[in-house]
Amino acid sequence: MATTTTPHAGSLHRQRRFRRIGMVILYTLFGIVAFTFTLPFFLMMSNAFKTSSEILRIPPTFIPRDPSLSSFRTVINEAPYFRWFGNSLLVSLSVTAMVLLTCSLAGYIFAKFTFPGRDAIFVVLLMTMMVPFPVLLIPSYLVVNKLGLVNSLWALIVPGMTSAFGIFLMRQFIAGIPNDLIEAARLDGASEWAIFARIVVPLARPPMAALGIFTFLAAWNDYLWPLIVINDLNKSTLPLALTFFNSQHAQRYDLVMAAAAMAVIPVIIVFVIFQRQIVNALVLAGLK
Amino acid sequence: MAVITGSGIAGKRARTRNRAPGHASRMRFVAISLVPILSLIVLFSIVPIGIVIWLSFHRYNQLAPTSPWIGLRNYEFAFQTDPFFRNALGNTLKYALVAVPANIVLSLPIALGLNQIERLRALFRTAFFMPVVASAVAVSLLWTTIYDPQAGWLNAFLNQVGLSSQPWLKDPDLAIWAVLAAAVWQDLGYNILVFLAGLQGIPDDFYDAAKVDGANAWQRFRGITLPLLQRTTVFVLVLTMISYLQEFTHIQVMTQGGPIRSSETLVLYTYTKAFEDLQMGYASAMSIVLMGIILVITLVQLRLLRARWEY
Repeated sequence: MATTTTPHAGSLHRQRRFRRIGMVILYTLFGIVAFTFTLPFFLMMSNAFKTSSEILRIPPTFIPRDPSLSSFRTVINEAPYFRWFGNSLLVSLSVTAMVLLTCSLAGYIFAKFTFPGRDAIFVVLLMTMMVPFPVLLIPSYLVVNKLGLVNSLWALIVPGMTSAFGIFLMRQFIAGIPNDLIEAARLDGASEWAIFARIVVPLARPPMAALGIFTFLAAWNDYLWPLIVINDLNKSTLPLALTFFNSQHAQRYDLVMAAAAMAVIPVIIVFVIFQRQIVNALVLAGLK
Repeated sequence: MAVITGSGIAGKRARTRNRAPGHASRMRFVAISLVPILSLIVLFSIVPIGIVIWLSFHRYNQLAPTSPWIGLRNYEFAFQTDPFFRNALGNTLKYALVAVPANIVLSLPIALGLNQIERLRALFRTAFFMPVVASAVAVSLLWTTIYDPQAGWLNAFLNQVGLSSQPWLKDPDLAIWAVLAAAVWQDLGYNILVFLAGLQGIPDDFYDAAKVDGANAWQRFRGITLPLLQRTTVFVLVLTMISYLQEFTHIQVMTQGGPIRSSETLVLYTYTKAFEDLQMGYASAMSIVLMGIILVITLVQLRLLRARWEY
């Protein structure tokens, strides 16, 4: 190794060393950028763990001198926090389950069945995807109001039970499943529901995972729609409840940050566990 | 047609026999499954589109007994009379036109860097992506505390390095940009991921071939990475633009559109008009204008960029 003095090997060696220096710089740079980038989350935790007297210090302390859980305790004692959390969980899980069922079923039908008007219906479906949600805010409210759902969790669940985008995503994937598989099951006497449940759904797992994660996150973090249809604190979901809590405890950044942290941390934990799937899902769901 | 006897039934039977076996049960499956799903789509997507168009031509207030047809007067009022509409439209365009380039200028280099490193990539990716999964409300509250003029960390930091405090969200000239910074911080991770996916889709062979031909790093970037990333870039540009044109949550939580409407976006103004002032006809007209703007900007972007991405 030490005796390789041919010019070629020398230049290769030099190149490799350059590369290594470049990598060290890159990693250092990334370390700094990533640290700065995540700093706001540390600040959130820092405030959440401060006592009510330390929160008033100017300038603010970066690391709490006397870290305590008192603000978390106050949030839980003073506000129906678990109720909000439960509402969010119930709504997000129901919406996700329904979206998965309706979109895979409709996607399968649009991909593998012929019936009169199929293509026309599908085109109309695609067109509804182009309308931005804020445009539908007022009329959706009027519809939900007419149905008598305003101010109940149903208002958050029912309109979200299916999605044109989800149907489109599932159709694109299920179209790639070989017809022979379905025909073979049919010849064996399987019912249409059995074919859907036992053959199509298991094969369509990857896009279903993507759609499920995407739907759950969107439902969990949704703010604009609950803001309009819910005005009862006991029926609030977390994002909506957070703004209420904030207005009740203005300037009490220790409490507000504790409440916010309790809303964010569960999602981040889930994200870290299912990181690979979530990242793939969001990229896939976005690349419509 | 008059003869509905024997031959008619026989004909029906013959037709049924021509179909593949089980046709009836398949159609039953299609009908039972699709009818409820499509009813939901009709009820919550198609009917609302009809209603919002209808509303925009009427003076509509839920509490008023009648809703008279007023033609295009809602649209005229928006463009000719209402200074707050013009203000909100201006803020929305200003916001989107700065946020989109800011987002891309930051996310593309980070994605390029992440594509170069292998070890710890997952860790860095997690760091950049965490804000994306957090709720926009929680993030907005977090940044409100950071921007607080007295107790906020940003001013504390500025003072530390010898700069003077700023009022941030309380300053009409700064508020919208302060919110924008928070929103871009939250969204950045998503575009980083999309760019990263685009970069990883470029085959290594291309780079190897270019290296053999003696192309240096910059030439490889200009000659291979940039052109092959064009498709991803168009996608990111269009989607990011669409989402920033609809900005609501960060603004509503952090500034409520203030101070003195300096950060009021179109969706926030529409929301206020519809649900606080109860002028749903006028608000509907404004939301249709927003849809028109989004459509036009998207088409222009696609037209301008497609010419360059066809290789």
